[in-house]
Amino acid sequence: MDSLIAASARALATGDALGALQRIALREDPPALALRGIAMAQLGENLRARELLRRAARGFGSHEELARARCVVAEAEVALAMRDLGGSDRPLAAASATLSAHADHANASQARLVAARRLLLLGRLDEAAAELAVVDLRGLPPTLRTLAELAAAELALRSLRVADARQALMRAQDAADRAGVPALLAEVAEARAVLDRPAARRLAGGAGQPLRLDEVAALLASDALVVDACRRGVGAGTAWRPLARRPILFALARTLAEAWPGDADRDALIAAAFRTRHPDATHRARLRVEIGRLRALVKDVAQVEATPRGFTLRPLGEREVIVLAPPIDGEQASLQALLSDGAAWSTSALALALDASQRTVQRALADLEAEGRVRSIGRARAQRWLAPPLAGFTTILLLPASLPID
Amino acid sequence: MAKTHGSDRPQATAHPAEIVREYGPFAGSDKVAGVTHDGTRVWAATGAALVAFDPATGETRRTLERACDAGTAFDGTYIYQIAEARIDKIDPATNQVVASIPAPGHGADSGLAWAEGSLWVGQYRDRKIHQIDPATGAIRRTIESNRFVTGVTWVDGELWHGTWEGDASDIRRIDPQTGDVLERLEMPGGVFVSGLESDGADLFYAGGGGSGKVRAVRRPRRTTPPAA
Repeated sequence: MDSLIAASARALATGDALGALQRIALREDPPALALRGIAMAQLGENLRARELLRRAARGFGSHEELARARCVVAEAEVALAMRDLGGSDRPLAAASATLSAHADHANASQARLVAARRLLLLGRLDEAAAELAVVDLRGLPPTLRTLAELAAAELALRSLRVADARQALMRAQDAADRAGVPALLAEVAEARAVLDRPAARRLAGGAGQPLRLDEVAALLASDALVVDACRRGVGAGTAWRPLARRPILFALARTLAEAWPGDADRDALIAAAFRTRHPDATHRARLRVEIGRLRALVKDVAQVEATPRGFTLRPLGEREVIVLAPPIDGEQASLQALLSDGAAWSTSALALALDASQRTVQRALADLEAEGRVRSIGRARAQRWLAPPLAGFTTILLLPASLPID
Repeated sequence: MAKTHGSDRPQATAHPAEIVREYGPFAGSDKVAGVTHDGTRVWAATGAALVAFDPATGETRRTLERACDAGTAFDGTYIYQIAEARIDKIDPATNQVVASIPAPGHGADSGLAWAEGSLWVGQYRDRKIHQIDPATGAIRRTIESNRFVTGVTWVDGELWHGTWEGDASDIRRIDPQTGDVLERLEMPGGVFVSGLESDGADLFYAGGGGSGKVRAVRRPRRTTPPAA
């Protein structure tokens, strides 16, 4: 590298982004463009940063593929910070392969972490897990290590592996302490706080008892028959029947479970499932059909028996029946509870799961989006909705460490 | 691309560089941007400080806190050091900058050598070596190379320079008149040269860029008189 590039990189390493820019502001050669891009990213000018990094990547010669690959990784990280997830993931994968081939392990891992975090944000959890699995944590600098553990914690939380998440967060804390970067420490603290916040309520006798995530996980892992109004399904032990796309059956299951160990009144069941307060004979006939369907669906874990005034749930064995509800009431809370699985939902799937009209769901989503509590990707029919990541993935850019312009 | 003077002539002999010893990384830094030799000690420019070490033991003898971003040279009394877009003339006894001249590449400079009353300055990505007046910085002559220039040194009337382009690095002897490559010492993969200095005998000292190391590389023994 030449003298002003070196001086600029020296300024950048001490956090003096403006000083770095000042030295190379008028230079258009690829290393200068890359450094200007990094400095702009550190100043929060992500759009400009991305453009500069893109031009730098294009400017490096074909024999400088290492420098080019590092620019691609930096550009992808800026795009991630901007939450611009629309592009193709192929350039990043190619850059990652190039860096691996040149034994630049830290930057190759950085590329994989950017890819994994992007997939997590896109709700492509399986692919994110696959990407994370190949990151070799040994020998990673503590900053990257922190991000890797945060991503692992996020994945574990999404699948309610709370013990795994807790351990990953402990390791993240450890790495962040060693890195000593305040923004990273704050991010880890925020992620750990998620574990202590109420994640759901256990309904019993009309009252709700708040539960933390690990208590929810413990309940779901127990032998009890759990009717989960957060994820919309019925589970017992390892068996899980998703009912997100069968709202009538779920409404019936929930009403029966809330009445347990007593029975649920026929009219109450009709009101919950068909949303009418004036039941007639046809509703009773439909109720019988739907109860029959529910019976078939849960026959491994419980029976649904007729009583003089309605129906009752009789779990097989000595099982207890538990109802889990979102931490607060309302359409928005239900939406957030559904989205908390981290997957990407379409508006129509959400409407179906909540047995609400698409218009109602869209309104609730728009409000939530304005408050930053949900995110959407794609447009029109391809639009999908996601919960914000638990672990934040704030816009911490680790670019300077990742991009020595050699 | 226009053809430059300095094309690789097929008769340029290439052989692997023989790395004799490695020094560093030095305390407080993770890179070496330039190296020079003052007769007894080797000086390494590590960004914010010039570090002098004893090549026999590797022990650090002196540290001068000075901006040092690229090439370093020694004229027998003073150290010349590229910092940002200028060349500082530093008295190593006092760590005072006694003079500064503008660097010919306006900050795109890399590699510095002193010889016969001139400074020789590499201009990294422009693949040039300038011969300049050490008092004014005026360019006396420019030699074209065909690789990025990262270090320049003179020894026994031979002009050698370090290259680092893309993912390859070497130390090469060029014809100071035409820029033709006469001899090449290829560095192993992943080992790069930033800064070059001869000890006046049979060793080169080569800065190792981001590795933070200085490497001693054997200079090939001359079996035939150098082509001039």
